[in-house]
Amino acid sequence: MVKTNKLSENMYDLSTVLDFDALDSVRPGTSLLVAGPAMSGKEALAMDVLKDGVGNGEGAVVVTTNDRASSVVDEFRTDVPEMDDSQLGVVDCRGDNSGGEAAQSGAYTHHVNSPGDLTGIGIGITKALEGLHKSGRDQGRLALVSLSTMLTYTDKKTVFKLCHILSSRLDSAGYVGVFTIDSGAHDDQTLQVIKQAFDGLIEFREEDGTRQARVMGLTSQPSEWKEL
Amino acid sequence: MSESDRPVVLIVEDEPDVAETYKLWLRNDYEVRMAHDGDEGLDLLDDSVDVVLLDRMMPGLSGDEVLERIRERDLGCRVSMVTAVEPDFDILEMGFDAYLSKPIRSEQLHETVENLLERSEYDTLLQEYYSLVEKQATLEASKSSAELEESDEYDELKEEIGELKSELSESLGGIGDDADFIATLRGLSNGEDE
Repeated sequence: MVKTNKLSENMYDLSTVLDFDALDSVRPGTSLLVAGPAMSGKEALAMDVLKDGVGNGEGAVVVTTNDRASSVVDEFRTDVPEMDDSQLGVVDCRGDNSGGEAAQSGAYTHHVNSPGDLTGIGIGITKALEGLHKSGRDQGRLALVSLSTMLTYTDKKTVFKLCHILSSRLDSAGYVGVFTIDSGAHDDQTLQVIKQAFDGLIEFREEDGTRQARVMGLTSQPSEWKEL
Repeated sequence: MSESDRPVVLIVEDEPDVAETYKLWLRNDYEVRMAHDGDEGLDLLDDSVDVVLLDRMMPGLSGDEVLERIRERDLGCRVSMVTAVEPDFDILEMGFDAYLSKPIRSEQLHETVENLLERSEYDTLLQEYYSLVEKQATLEASKSSAELEESDEYDELKEEIGELKSELSESLGGIGDDADFIATLRGLSNGEDE
């Protein structure tokens, strides 16, 4: 591989999506956990991080346990009209191979039998990354939505290891990763363990009827809670 | 455990000359066992085997069938397929950890075996890392932050976790290639029910 320009040194600016100083210069290879209660906007945030990257010409890989690959592709096309289909790869792990997606498009989609099929997910991610690399997208972002669903298929030990291995892979690729987890669905110890597999944490909460967020792990001190 | 501390390599190969050649190359570094067909290979397989070199085309059980049985038995060994031709299918999806196409040179054989052993080592480190992280989470849940600050055990644990983390990031070139990535994930699925 010839790397003439040091693209991998380019920092990612995620602060345009979520306005925190800690997010304005995120090192390639960083993996972030996005935790919050149900309906707090974590998944929308993860998707926005990817869409923002696509808008900058970067690649995007969505690993989803919840949404149909075709709906993800449609959503990206609608929200980022300038997107070229070659910028997006979707790994759909719902295990619902009802078909009917062949006519989809140029966006790469891969179907995995179940959120518990980690090898299948790995193969999907590998192919998506390979496609993006071939089309010259050397920077990109990956979202996994959601770890909570994966935790219903496999134990926390396996999910922890998966997160660690994925983070390492993203680090080698120079990508940024965002992984969502529903903080209300798991005990504190599980959350504490899963957090350790990541470089940083974006946390959401509801307080006095407002949505708040903070960022931890990327700077020496956690940020203050901030109203959104 | 094997009699020696050396890693165990099982060669499953129906051509005696070829099998002898591999053995000659490997015997200084590894404990080498040989099987002349798939059935014998399955008989010789146990927990002590680290790496299997499996010829794909053999009379009797084919390499693919032997692999399937190995995966069913949930053994922790890593398997490299040995083929006469460069495979035209996706090796990763077939469940092999690596492949070697004939004719194989000594250097190649060593590289492959070493890489497969490194993957097993990575799995072990990752398991250790997880155990420590879980221990840390348990301590954090049961003690106040003041107590944690006083605790030598907690300090040591954090230090150990840091060391393991950097050891992991150096192992396998930090999961720099696709084959390492998929094989490591496959190892997770295989070990899931333990």
